[in-house]
Amino acid sequence: MKLSTPTACAAVAGLLGAVVLTGCTERSEDTIVVGLSADITTFEPGMISSRDNANIARHIFASLFTLTADGEHVPELAHTLEISDDGTAYVYTLSEGLTCHDGESLTAEDVAYTFNRIADPANRFTGNTPGFVFTSIGFESAEALDDLRVQINIAQKNPIAFGLMTEVYIHCKDAYEAMSLDDAASNPIGSGAYRLASWTRGSEVVLEKVRDLGNFQRVVWRIIPEASTRTAELIAGNVDIITNVVPEQIETIDGSGRAHVQVVRGTRRMYLGFNLSDEHARMPGGDAIQDPAVRRALQYAVDVPTICRQLLSGECERATGLVNPPNDNPNLTPYPYDAELAERLLDEAGWPRGDDGMRFAIRMQAGQGRYVNDVNVVLAIRQYLQDVGLDIDLELMEWASVYTPLLRERSMGPLFFLGTGGGLWSPIYDMTDMAQVGSGTNYTHWSDPRWFDRWPELVNVGSPEEQRSIINEMLQVFYDDGPWLHLYFQPDFYGVSSRVSWEARRDEHVEVFEAALK
Amino acid sequence: MGAYIVRRLLQSVIVVIGVTLVSFLALQAGGDPTYLFVSERASLEEIEAARQALGFDRPLHVQYLSFVGDLTRGDFGQSLSYRQPAMEIVLEALPATIELTLFAMICALLLAIPLGVLAAINRGTAWDGSITTMSMLGQSIPSFWMGIMMILFFGLYIRLFPISGHVPFLAPLMAGDFGTAFANLPRTIYHLVLPGIAVGTYSLARNTRLVRSSLLEVLEQDYVRTARSKGLPEMRVLVHHALRNAWLPVVTIIGLEFGFLLGGVVVVETVFSYPGIGRLLFAAINQRDIPLVQAGVILLAGIFTLLNLVVDLVYVRLDPRVKLAGGRG
Repeated sequence: MKLSTPTACAAVAGLLGAVVLTGCTERSEDTIVVGLSADITTFEPGMISSRDNANIARHIFASLFTLTADGEHVPELAHTLEISDDGTAYVYTLSEGLTCHDGESLTAEDVAYTFNRIADPANRFTGNTPGFVFTSIGFESAEALDDLRVQINIAQKNPIAFGLMTEVYIHCKDAYEAMSLDDAASNPIGSGAYRLASWTRGSEVVLEKVRDLGNFQRVVWRIIPEASTRTAELIAGNVDIITNVVPEQIETIDGSGRAHVQVVRGTRRMYLGFNLSDEHARMPGGDAIQDPAVRRALQYAVDVPTICRQLLSGECERATGLVNPPNDNPNLTPYPYDAELAERLLDEAGWPRGDDGMRFAIRMQAGQGRYVNDVNVVLAIRQYLQDVGLDIDLELMEWASVYTPLLRERSMGPLFFLGTGGGLWSPIYDMTDMAQVGSGTNYTHWSDPRWFDRWPELVNVGSPEEQRSIINEMLQVFYDDGPWLHLYFQPDFYGVSSRVSWEARRDEHVEVFEAALK
Repeated sequence: MGAYIVRRLLQSVIVVIGVTLVSFLALQAGGDPTYLFVSERASLEEIEAARQALGFDRPLHVQYLSFVGDLTRGDFGQSLSYRQPAMEIVLEALPATIELTLFAMICALLLAIPLGVLAAINRGTAWDGSITTMSMLGQSIPSFWMGIMMILFFGLYIRLFPISGHVPFLAPLMAGDFGTAFANLPRTIYHLVLPGIAVGTYSLARNTRLVRSSLLEVLEQDYVRTARSKGLPEMRVLVHHALRNAWLPVVTIIGLEFGFLLGGVVVVETVFSYPGIGRLLFAAINQRDIPLVQAGVILLAGIFTLLNLVVDLVYVRLDPRVKLAGGRG
């Protein structure tokens, strides 16, 4: 049989139509879809380290206590906590009738198993819990006291141990003892409100509700790395929430009538660091920034609100230190932009303009592609500093392979651009970047005794009022003579469909427990 | 021919090992990968512990030789980020990429052959000019740009096709789940249309030009003139005498192009959030997941060298004048 051309065309069109009609599926009302920018790699509680990965895991695994959007810790699996007088033993009492997703009862023995399993060096876990939480709190061991009471032992008193322990994802002993590490990485048996229904690597994760927390029966997390594709999916109505909207697409989303962008002041503290190490003091300009008066002068040289408005799509209040509001020192006001004052203070500090119009040359290093509009922000800062007479030699670097190793060795600078994650639940948590002169996160090598000598007092102080007073005094020192040129708390941009009501949090946690259809 | 195949396969092994060495060194040149596997607040001691746990504390040559040693036992190592056998993860992503590549190639060929023929038999006319111009455009437009434009037009404005995602066909088919595979097929095709066009446009343009130029060359040969002078109908001359001989360069390119497309879909897979091997390797390179990158590279290099061999063998079948070196043809 021979087909005529029109018949063949009609057949092709029909086939195409059939494909389109078969392919189109309606969105279900009991499903919420979240578009993430980064792929996730594991559901092994001991290996999770990225924020996107943790956001999904948070729905699968419950914690002893959990952190609210306001930075308050509230009971989850445990309902009470008692801390020993010496501050090294934390006894949690679990609620009754808890189970894991396979139906196994969740008891104190499971909680102790969770902590000990993650800390076990034989498992060679390198995620956030063993790599940061446990080392920060000095975790030693965990033991079940009875069916409902579990004791966590730490090396010494630590004011943020309780908060950090909420980041441990609890799982059941029998299930995990029966699984290989490979299985555990892809078939989690959790304790949270949702269980893993399917995981198509690089594509999507589907969760199904098992406990009555959350308004949606299913949560679909789709991995959409390309920002413009995420935006298109949101506007097309295929996705309800997207993370990491790029500022250039805010107008498009807001103008679509189908979605809007929520901008929240994040907890990531963006700053220009002064590396005060001996090695950097010998570099050009490194000697100048050793002087607190020079550092203070430069605070006035950068117009941070304008940077926010022009480059970060919104208004912002300049930071006064390393602690996130509202836990910061309320007596401090952000440094205003005053280039003339900056110039005068630099003159007074002994760095007048030379014949070439410059005061001193200095190298500034920054990674690129890590933070919102980072390259343009860095270029703007360079311009502001050049305007007051600094001859800036800017080095922009690839983030992962070039800048990160410098960061870990604390050898970037003398000037360097960086953002470090913070929190809302404790000022001390934010301050631990500078817990010791040699801390891995004290990238500046700052060593002012007015700050560092106060730590033992801060940790062992009796009343919250006394603690607050010490914190404020320390933050005043950091504000006056600290090693950061204060910038801003990085704004986070989320796209939200008009179909759902959902509020973005400041701490980069994406939770859909309270999301609902409008 | 048997000896020829064995020799070529041995050569392929050497090529694959060479490729793994180059990719290993390239990944190492990017610096210590340990930093990508630890918390941003990790101390130097914690980083050192992670370095030992990941095996990056060993000298480079020990790391590489250990990898090659494992390879000879069929062990491709564990992915550092997924903590699962690396080859298993790569093989999981491969069917999606084969679907995309095959779809793009079939569509490109189905269009390229008639368009190339049309241009050749109408040489110098408006048909020829239009087809040649479109082909040049097709070769010039970057696939990621075309992908984004198609997402905007077909996905967002007229909403005819999905913007991203994938529905598996080959994976359930290979697992013996024919019901799911064929139930999925319409949606598989539906999701393949836009990325398929983005991937296949370059191939379509190149093959159109190739068919055209190859056919033009053949049409000027003596035996074609002889066929015409015998009074054969033009269609018969074209199909039986000209096209048959014009196939040879096209077949060579098609075989290699499959391998080329297979390894070259990274950008399109990223734009369309398509969970194939290209995107997996792109993420693995960023994450410095060396075992995963090596497993992917070995697989792609293996497929590519195998396709080369198949092309050579097909060539012999198509053209009796060609003899295999060292073989009896």
